[in-house]
Amino acid sequence: MPLTDADLVARVLVDDDHHAFAELVRNHQSAIRGLLRQLTRSDLALADDLAQETFLRAYKHIRSFRGEAKFSTWLYRIAYNCFREDARKRKELVGIDETLLESQPDPQSADPALKHDLMHALQLLPLHERSAILLCCQNGLSHDEAARVLEIPLGTVKTNVLRGREKLKKTLAAWGPA
Amino acid sequence: MNEQFQEDWLDARLREEAPYIDDAGFTAQVVQKLPPRRASRNSFRGAILLGVTMLACVVTYFASDGGRFLISAVNTFAAMPLWMLYVVAIGCGMVATGVAAAAAYFQAREQTLG
Repeated sequence: MPLTDADLVARVLVDDDHHAFAELVRNHQSAIRGLLRQLTRSDLALADDLAQETFLRAYKHIRSFRGEAKFSTWLYRIAYNCFREDARKRKELVGIDETLLESQPDPQSADPALKHDLMHALQLLPLHERSAILLCCQNGLSHDEAARVLEIPLGTVKTNVLRGREKLKKTLAAWGPA
Repeated sequence: MNEQFQEDWLDARLREEAPYIDDAGFTAQVVQKLPPRRASRNSFRGAILLGVTMLACVVTYFASDGGRFLISAVNTFAAMPLWMLYVVAIGCGMVATGVAAAAAYFQAREQTLG
């Protein structure tokens, strides 16, 4: 039977077990790196640096994880904080960036043009709406969990998701269902 | 209805565009950067217990005039009837099992609570 996140966290806490922590990283690296890639507008190197920083911080502060939220939610919160701190340093906490990076073509994607337009539409959203959309619609967090990650009120998350969705729908109107 | 359909379509596309990212050495890089493991508290605990036990053995040996109490204990056991030896053996076994079960319980609880 595979160990749960709680089991692995317990092992790290009791025995400082690096293997258990490696398992946690393996289980969550895709989601965290994926979120950071989207937040950094497909800057893969920066996203991976921030993901690494996220896991190192998680290890350092694992005693502060009290199990009230899911481990993944706790990680998202650290990742978002890492991103925010880095963005502050780079003074990039603005809505629309004119120097948008092109997303890399994905051979697995069913329709590269749709993917391109979706990524483009996402990147056009202001950061607060993009973050809410990524957490709730793409990563499946509840509004409540997203509010904890983003450290903003629940109502604000709902508004951001709603506005973000509306903008995406408008931008992708040509692709939408008939 | 159409509104909901559009939202579902949009959410589905967003989830589709979040494919699994292959680890490709990422975990190994993170683990490499972790600080070295702190010395295990368990081995430190074990060393203390072993030291105290050995010290107690030495003190007892000298305090009992070269372990004479052992010879008298062996004589006492030898003089016991067989059924009493069985009772003593079973009693010792039960005490040892109880202590081991309690230790296992507290260890499991410590691991669960973190």
